[in-house]
Amino acid sequence: MPSVILALVVVIAFALYFLVWAGTNAQLQAVRSGQIPEPRGGTAQLEEALRMLGPDHVQEIGVGVVVGIGRVMLIVFAASHIGTEFGWGTLRTLLAHGAGRGTFLASKAASLGLFAAVLVAVGTLGAIGASYAVVGLGGGSSGAGVDLEAVASIAAKGIYTCLPYMALAVGIAVLARSAGAGIGAGLVVLFAEGIIADILVALNRDYAQIVNWGLARNVTALARATSNVESPSAGISLPDPAQAAITLGAYTAIFMAIAYWRLRTRDVTIG
Amino acid sequence: MTVAPADVVLRTKGLVKRFGEITAVDGLDLEVRRGEVVGLLGPNGAGKSTTIGIVLGLITPTAGSAEILGRDVRSRRGAALRGVGAMLEVTSFYPYLSGRDNLIAIAILRGGGALARVDPLLARLGLAQRARSSFRTYSLGMRQRLGVASTLLADPALVILDEPANGLDPAGQREIRELIRELAKEGRGVLLASHLLHEVEQVCDRVMVIKKGKLIGSGTIAEVTRRGGYLEIAIAETARAAGILRRLPGVKEIRETANGIDVIADSERGADLNRALASAGLYASAIVPRASSLEDVFLELTETEAAPAQAAG
Repeated sequence: MPSVILALVVVIAFALYFLVWAGTNAQLQAVRSGQIPEPRGGTAQLEEALRMLGPDHVQEIGVGVVVGIGRVMLIVFAASHIGTEFGWGTLRTLLAHGAGRGTFLASKAASLGLFAAVLVAVGTLGAIGASYAVVGLGGGSSGAGVDLEAVASIAAKGIYTCLPYMALAVGIAVLARSAGAGIGAGLVVLFAEGIIADILVALNRDYAQIVNWGLARNVTALARATSNVESPSAGISLPDPAQAAITLGAYTAIFMAIAYWRLRTRDVTIG
Repeated sequence: MTVAPADVVLRTKGLVKRFGEITAVDGLDLEVRRGEVVGLLGPNGAGKSTTIGIVLGLITPTAGSAEILGRDVRSRRGAALRGVGAMLEVTSFYPYLSGRDNLIAIAILRGGGALARVDPLLARLGLAQRARSSFRTYSLGMRQRLGVASTLLADPALVILDEPANGLDPAGQREIRELIRELAKEGRGVLLASHLLHEVEQVCDRVMVIKKGKLIGSGTIAEVTRRGGYLEIAIAETARAAGILRRLPGVKEIRETANGIDVIADSERGADLNRALASAGLYASAIVPRASSLEDVFLELTETEAAPAQAAG
């Protein structure tokens, strides 16, 4: 499963870069050849879109895509990583052979953190490769090249924003002794919470005081602090990036603590 | 008999486990010593697996304690389990790993010299040929063998085997029986939970029969089977003899047979029966104590309502 996920994130990064490049480039060529009318404002927006695919913008587009897709994959992986131990009965085997419950969970958490880092790193390398490939196909310039420091910084923050979702998936998988429950809960929170938060803030800005304690707005706040890409919530009071980092860290710790408490107190029955 | 603490590898005291309204284990006292094989018997739902779960620290007891090599399982679980190798009723390994890799994973967890025992154990359990095949391709019998192999990785003083012969063919069952005896000869204590009573009868030194979580009978195989034994009396006037013996205290049942009568009574009552017959002018040509099979005793014990009692010993 891990190698499939890693391969998939690279394929998706390449596919997205090629789709965006092919679509934008085709549109631009059609405008230039007069096949379709020129959009209002000229072709500047299309040319800007092509420039954004260049290696010097990987930290804004490529890493964002990888972290966005990676978050979904990591929720699935985290829940499966622990849920299958219940499903296969291997947790029972490990505990019967002397493994400690705390040690078991700590090793799972460490391997999940490591995998999140590897996934974002591999995906980012894939995005960088895709970026050079589409620039090469278009015969354009790769500009100043990849800003490795910026890419590393944004990738690291991207990994950090994945952790609470992974911890939530682990917590639910332990509570329900099921990978499916962890995946379901993680994905529902990932997709639904952000939408609900944005709707509430759009209805009344005062609701930001409440929804800013959720996951989605803190993730957005941390992403905006390091990216030039505007989020849908731009302009509406997001949490301070430092506060966002602390809140996300606290959620990760709380979800893991719940998982540990349940694992420690639960009877592991046989048969 | 007083047993030196050093000889006791497993001891439970007043073990109780309740799941809500259900009492799965009810005041169970168990003891396994070095070099002996103890059979844990009971019908389905008797509390055998729950007891094993408590001993391994998988299940927290409501009351009582379990000690392995004198170490309390709750307060010193890690140290206590270092001396145990356990195979649970459902053998669970990582399906995508080979049998060998599964053992290596457990050996790494176990530490010590466990890694060096992986290949010899695969050979000892007849799995060397398929050691590198993935676990998901193993037959039930191979899975059981791998489970048994995993119990020996840590060179344990106590081996717990829950239904180890499940899914094995007769030759495989015999191999497991021989292995269990070898383990006992090596000075390990073995706790064997099994439904195969003839297997238990052949390998166990002592048995403990539980029902509804209570100990309803225990002792050596000889003691337990004697409990359900009978006296075979070869005599001519069977009807008259039966009438005389039926009045004697301790005689539970009399069955007339082709050659005489079978008297269900304590086998040590042979002399009393003989005396009673002789005083009535009846002379038996033979009085032979016969033991019941373990199966007969098991059924007799478990089909009557559970009441805490020592069957023998």
